[in-house]
Amino acid sequence: MKKQLMTASLLLSAMASFGGGYQLNLQGLRQIAMGGSGTAWPWDASTIVYNPGGLARLKGIQVYGSMAFIMPSTAYGNRDNSGVTSANENTASQTFTPFNFYIGGRVSEDSRFGLGLGIYTPFGSGTKWDDNWLGKYIVQSVDLQTIFFQPTVSYRASEWLSVGAGFVFATGSVDFRQAMPVHGQQGADIDDGQAHLHGSATGVGFNVGAQMKVHDGLQFGVSYRSQVNMDVDGGSAKFTVPASLASSFPNTTFSSRLPLPGILSAGVGWRPVNDLTLQLDLNYAGWNSYDTLRFDFKETTSSLENVRAPRHYRNTLTTRIGACYRISRVVSIMGGAAYDPTPVTNGFVSPDLPDADRVVLTCGMTVKAARGLTLMAAFEGVNGVKRRGDYNYGGFSGVYKSTAATPAIGLYYNF
Amino acid sequence: MKKIYTIGAIAMLFAACRPNANVTTPSTSGNANFTNYLAVGCSFSAGFADNSLTISGQLNSYPQRLFEQFETITDGQGAVAPFILPLVTGDNGYPGPKLVLSTTTYCDATTSLAPKATTLPLDSNGSWQFVGQGNNKQINAMAVPGMRVADLPVMGYAGVNSYARRFFYDPTKRPLDELYARVFNVHPTFFTMWLGIWDVMGYALAGGQGDGTGNAAPVTLNIYNTRDITPVDVFGNLYDSALAAISSTSSYGALMTVPDITALPYFTTVPMNGLTIESQGFADTLMALYSNLNDKVFNLGQNYFIIKDNDNKTRQAVPGELLLLTVPRDSITCAGWGSIKPIPREYVLTTDELQNIRNTTERYNYIIKLKAQERAMALVDMDMFFKSLESGMTYNGIEYSTEFVSGGAFSLDGLHLNPRGNALLANHVITSVNNYYKATIPQTDANKYPGVKFP
Repeated sequence: MKKQLMTASLLLSAMASFGGGYQLNLQGLRQIAMGGSGTAWPWDASTIVYNPGGLARLKGIQVYGSMAFIMPSTAYGNRDNSGVTSANENTASQTFTPFNFYIGGRVSEDSRFGLGLGIYTPFGSGTKWDDNWLGKYIVQSVDLQTIFFQPTVSYRASEWLSVGAGFVFATGSVDFRQAMPVHGQQGADIDDGQAHLHGSATGVGFNVGAQMKVHDGLQFGVSYRSQVNMDVDGGSAKFTVPASLASSFPNTTFSSRLPLPGILSAGVGWRPVNDLTLQLDLNYAGWNSYDTLRFDFKETTSSLENVRAPRHYRNTLTTRIGACYRISRVVSIMGGAAYDPTPVTNGFVSPDLPDADRVVLTCGMTVKAARGLTLMAAFEGVNGVKRRGDYNYGGFSGVYKSTAATPAIGLYYNF
Repeated sequence: MKKIYTIGAIAMLFAACRPNANVTTPSTSGNANFTNYLAVGCSFSAGFADNSLTISGQLNSYPQRLFEQFETITDGQGAVAPFILPLVTGDNGYPGPKLVLSTTTYCDATTSLAPKATTLPLDSNGSWQFVGQGNNKQINAMAVPGMRVADLPVMGYAGVNSYARRFFYDPTKRPLDELYARVFNVHPTFFTMWLGIWDVMGYALAGGQGDGTGNAAPVTLNIYNTRDITPVDVFGNLYDSALAAISSTSSYGALMTVPDITALPYFTTVPMNGLTIESQGFADTLMALYSNLNDKVFNLGQNYFIIKDNDNKTRQAVPGELLLLTVPRDSITCAGWGSIKPIPREYVLTTDELQNIRNTTERYNYIIKLKAQERAMALVDMDMFFKSLESGMTYNGIEYSTEFVSGGAFSLDGLHLNPRGNALLANHVITSVNNYYKATIPQTDANKYPGVKFP
C-alpha cells in the first residue's frame, strides 16, 4: 500500500554555483587598473599571482598589501511563460572585501632566485536576495569565500627568460540558504521551511609561469593557474521544517566538490615610449570542468536526496588591455578595459549567479609617497550585458542586469 | 593631474548607477475589455478545497487571482473593484468540516500524516445565507459546488444544493435564471466559464455506479441522477443556453474545457497493484481461494487487488484500473480487502467505466471548442494544464505535480486545487487569454500563496 503521504522533494537546485562572477581578478592594484592584464610585466610582488616567473626580476624584497571593496548589484525581472515580464527585484546591497598580501623578491641582490609568499582571494563574493523574493525556492543567499596561500619560487634563467612556480593551498567557506517548498499553518512567506548549508572547504593546486624579455620595451608572459577542487566535507546541513516533516528532513552533514577552474594566460607588454606601457592579456578559463553540482548528504531520506544539478559551463576567453602612463617620478596613472564572456550557457542561468557577458572598465593611479613606499588606488566598473536567462532545472526565467563597482586601495614597501 | 580627475569622475558616474532590469512589460488588455469580470463555474471555480468551503479557499480561488491580474491592466480596460465573492464566515468549513493533515495511527500500528476532518466548530453561523451589498447584492463569481450543466434548467435547484441556496436570488427558480440575473447585475465585459466537470464527476465518485453510457434517462422531467453521466446532446444544448445567457451583454470571454478527471490524485493515489504478498503460503492460499477465476496472478511482491467489477463479479483488477482515495486503508491492511475479500465496486473504476468518463469528456470538450469558435471566444485547454501538472511542472523553484500532498498543488480532498494550484491555474488561463486577445497580462507569483499546510 502506497503511503498516504509523501513529502515534497527538496529541490536545492541552485546551491552555491559560482561562475565568472565569482572569479575575482583583483589580485593586484596596478593590474586591476589596467583591465586585469599583467601576465607579461613584473610590476610588483603581485606578480606572484599574475606570473610567478616575474618574481626573480623584482628589485629587492617587497611587502605588498591591498584590499578591494566589491559592490555588486543585480536587477531581475520575471518572465512568465506567456512572455510577459513583471516583478522587478533587486539584490540586497552588500560589500565584499577580498584582500591580498604578498612578500617576496630576490633572495639577495645578485641572486638568480626569487622567493615569495602570496595570500590572496581569487574567488569569492556572493548574492543575497530578499528572503521572500520570487526565486526564494531556488536561492535566498549564497556566499563563497576562498583564501589561497601560495609559497612561490622563481628563477631567472637568463637576461631574457625567467620562470616561476608556486604551490597553492586553498581554504574557504560556502554558505547557502534557500526557502523550502513546504510550510506550516501560516502559509508561504511567513512560515516557509528553510535549508541552510554551511561548510568549509580546502583544496590544492599550483601556479606556474614564465616571462620573456625580448628587450626593455617588449616582454611576453605565459602562466597557468591550475584547477583547484575545493572539497567540502562535513559541512552542516540544517533544515527548518514543520514538525511533522522533521524526520523527512533531518539535520545532517554534507560533502561536495566545487571545482575552481584552471586559467591559462598569455600576455604581451610593450613600452613604445619611455613613460608609456601598453599591455594585452588573454585568459582562457577551463570552466567546462564545472559540469554538475553535486551535494551528498550523510543521511538521506525519500524527501532529502543527494543533489545533482546540471551546470554545463563552457570555457571562456577573456581579453584584457591596459595602459600605464608615468606622469612624473612620483605619479603614474593607469586605465584599461576587458571583455569577459560568461561561462554560463542559456538554460543554466540560475539566480544564485545570473552571470552574463561583462564589459569591464578600469582606472587607477600610483603615488611614490616616500622612499620605498608606494600607494595605489584603482577602480573597476563591471557592466554586465542585460541578459535573458532561463534556468530550466528550476523552472525560472527572467531578464537580468548586473553591475559591480569596485574601488581598491593598497600599498607596498621595498626594503 | 586633470586626467586623473576625469578618470575619477567617470568612475564615480559608473559607481552611482544602480542597475535596472527595466524589462517590465506594460499590462495591456489587447482586444478585450476586463472592466467587469464574472466567473461562472462549479466547486473548482468557487475555491472549494479540502472537501469544504472556507473563506480562505474562496479568497484563493482562481477567479480572485484572475481579477487581481486583470486589475493590473493600465490601458483603461482593466478590471475595476469591487470584485465580490459570496464569502462564508469562517475558515473551518461549510457545511461540513474541512480536512486538515494530522497524524493517524492505522490498524497495523503504523502512523502517518493523513487528511482528517477538523474538529474545530463549523462556520454555519451566517454562512448558510450570503448577505450581499446594496440592492442587487453583486457577486462576481457564480460558482456553485456540485453544479452540473445538466442542473441548469432544474427549477428549485437551490432547494437541494446548499451552496446554491446561499446566494441565489430566488431559490425556486432555475440556475439558468440566476445566471441571467447575475449577468444583468454585473454587466460583465469579460467572463470565464468552467462547467461540465460535475457532469462526469458524480459517476466517477460513485465508482461508476450509474449510467455511464451517455444515454442516461432523466429521473423525472429534466432531472438527471447525479451518479449518471450527463448525455452529450443534453450537455450541448444546455451549455449553449448558459453561453447565450452569459454573453448576453456581448462580453469577451474564455471557455474552459473539462479535464480528464481520472488523472486527479483522488483517483491515482491508491495503487491498484497494492496487494503485497510476502510468503508463498499466502500466494497459495489466494490461488486456492480464487481457483475458479481466470487470469489470476499471485506472485511474491506486488499484485493487483481482487475487486468487484461493474457487473458485481469478483475478479482480479487489471493494469490501468483505479481505486478511489476514500477506500479505507485499514480494511485493506487488516480486513483482507483486495485479497481474501474483493474491494467493493463503489471504490473501483474499471476499464469500461474509465472509458465512459474519458470518452464523454472528449465529446463535451469537442462541443466547448466548437462553441468557442462560433462565438469567437478564448478557449482554455484545461486538460493541457492538468496533464502538464501530471508530468511535473517546475515553476520558480518548486516542482509541482498531481501527487497527493507532495505534489504541492492539490488540496487534501485530492480533487480540488489548493491556493497555489489555483494560482497556477489562473496563470494558465492568463496565457490562453493573452494569446487569444493579444493582451499582455502578467501572471501571478503562485508560490506566494499557501500550499499544503503541514502540522
